[in-house]
Amino acid sequence: MASQIIEKQLNILDYSLSSLWRKKLKNLSVILVFTAVIFLVASFQMITRSLTSAAEDALVYAPEITIQKLSIGRQESIPLKYIDQLSAIFGIRQITPRIWGYYFDENNGANYTVMAMDTTVMPKSSMLSQTLREGNLPGLTENGKVAIGRSVLKAKNLGSRRSLSLFRPDLSLKSFKVSGIFNEETDIMTNDLMVMTMADARDLFAISSDLATDLLVYVSNPAEVATIARKISEAIPGTRVLTRQQIQKTYRMIFGWRSGFASVCLLTALAAFVILAWDKASGLSPEERREIGILKVIGWETTDILAIRFWEGLLISIFAFVIGCTLAYIHVAIFEAVLFRPILVGWSVIFPPFRLPPGIELGDLLLIFSFSVLPYLASTVIPAWRCAIVSADSAIK
Amino acid sequence: MLIELESVTKIYNQGRANEVKALDRVDLTIRENTMVCLKGASGSGKSTLLSIIGCVFPPTDGRAAIAGKQLSRMPDRFLTIHRRQTIGFIFQQFNILPNLTVLDNITLPLLPLGISPKERRLRAMPLMEKLAITHRENFLAGQISGGELQRVAIARALINNQPIILADEPTAHLDTRLSQQFMATMADLKAGGKTIVIASHDPLITDDSRIDQVIGVKDGRVNVP
Ligand SMILES: Nc1ncnc2c1ncn2[C@@H]1O[C@H](COP(=O)(O)OP(=O)(O)OP(=O)(O)O)[C@@H](O)[C@H]1O
Ligand SMILES: [Mg+2]
Repeated sequence: MASQIIEKQLNILDYSLSSLWRKKLKNLSVILVFTAVIFLVASFQMITRSLTSAAEDALVYAPEITIQKLSIGRQESIPLKYIDQLSAIFGIRQITPRIWGYYFDENNGANYTVMAMDTTVMPKSSMLSQTLREGNLPGLTENGKVAIGRSVLKAKNLGSRRSLSLFRPDLSLKSFKVSGIFNEETDIMTNDLMVMTMADARDLFAISSDLATDLLVYVSNPAEVATIARKISEAIPGTRVLTRQQIQKTYRMIFGWRSGFASVCLLTALAAFVILAWDKASGLSPEERREIGILKVIGWETTDILAIRFWEGLLISIFAFVIGCTLAYIHVAIFEAVLFRPILVGWSVIFPPFRLPPGIELGDLLLIFSFSVLPYLASTVIPAWRCAIVSADSAIK
Repeated sequence: MLIELESVTKIYNQGRANEVKALDRVDLTIRENTMVCLKGASGSGKSTLLSIIGCVFPPTDGRAAIAGKQLSRMPDRFLTIHRRQTIGFIFQQFNILPNLTVLDNITLPLLPLGISPKERRLRAMPLMEKLAITHRENFLAGQISGGELQRVAIARALINNQPIILADEPTAHLDTRLSQQFMATMADLKAGGKTIVIASHDPLITDDSRIDQVIGVKDGRVNVP
């Protein structure tokens, strides 16, 4: 008896497979559209995940408050004497100067981000060494050493050499030994980065010893950030005081806009899919009706007929789902989301060209699954059900 | 009595504007192992009568007992199960799926019974031999002749060894020779113990001496001589 039930299901599955094969052209086009939609949605989801987590990761190292000096609305170097002026404000744990800027390499047209600061004051500074593939960050006084990102390594064509030279503004050369190389996982932040000592950065950019690019303020009690920020801007007029929250908000806003735009594109794709599914749901072809009628009248139960459609729908949609997700992973991981570059371009304002580790979460996949496979299944089974419950006679006329 | 209808009425689309009374208080009994012909003009209700006898739907009113089971108010699922154990259908259009092979069409009723492909073929072989279609076993049904199609339909109606064979205008698309061949096959099946009901207005059937009884159908009423 049990083996008979299994045999029956096998028979029905077998019938579904040959039925799919008989309508291969139509099914192939359905699979194509279906796979394309899954591919788009999954690619987008993986990129979104990886960007959000990268942005969050970056903020781990960010100070609670950043102070920039403004002159006629533009940022300019900030005098170090402000540090003494601010030390009186209660609640500040540490103020440290940072120098950063862009270095344009005329040899290959590349832009590097140069940064110098006392990294030991960063929160989670002990974790910084994990961002390096080999070597270390230059120590506070280790002049002549630099840690570089992977694209710098490539652009400078270093190979196994571990030294490089950069031009000062007066076109004299300054040589560095590469003390460390950042690893791939942090590409999004470190790809074009050069980290050196404060003294070297001053020398390279010709910045006098009483100036820095901005001041980073670390606060003991996060609850007091807003108060402290207000006190700072009162103490030194003509500065812009950015809190980590504000930076986070900016990230999110830009990201929100981008993802909003992308969502519109995705919705269009989804709409196409829904139309496809609706087209299926709204009507069976006369041949399909006739087949259901014949099966019914020769003794197939309604549930057996539905089982055929169920297997057909399940096989098609699972197939499309797996292929779509796999292609999406390959697209993001190996081809660096090349199809989405135009949408993501804005990110290079915040992040240099990067390599995305695709972010995959089970929850995302389940979400995509339930918004694609389930509706598709419904759109195959429901019309067959509507047709199969009307008595068999109408189908055999 | 194998087939027993008592005051059977069938109304299509009951209560709606397009309501049709296709059968009106029909009384009819058919004994086991007889060959009966339902004769009547187009629209008289022959197909509807066959559908009731064939357990496709229960009567709107009255009592119908087929092979010992009362159809009235039988849920659709049991009607289906009773149908596949009792009734073999042969339709005017044959109702064969053109994209399936001859063998697959013949054995289609066996799939939901949980019978393996091997066993299905074993059951189909003697039928295909008897009906001279063995050489077409693996042809698609859409690629064989009308006479062969008719025989595939007969084989399908017999595959589950059902006691009652119902045929709705089976010779409408056949020439004289094939129609005679069909009647010969039916007579043969009757000799094998089957009960056969044929709806037709083809004189080749209605006037055939092997028909035990001709039942006239007119405007949804039957006239048993
Ligand atoms: N599914 C249906 N819905 C509505 N009316 C129907 C349906 N089937 C049949 N009828 C009507 O019921 C009446 C009897 O039809 P039926 O098909 O039983 O006649 P028939 O004797 O088989 O005719 P024919 O020789 O043309 O096949 C006809 O008036 C027909 O229009
Ligand atoms: Mg008819």
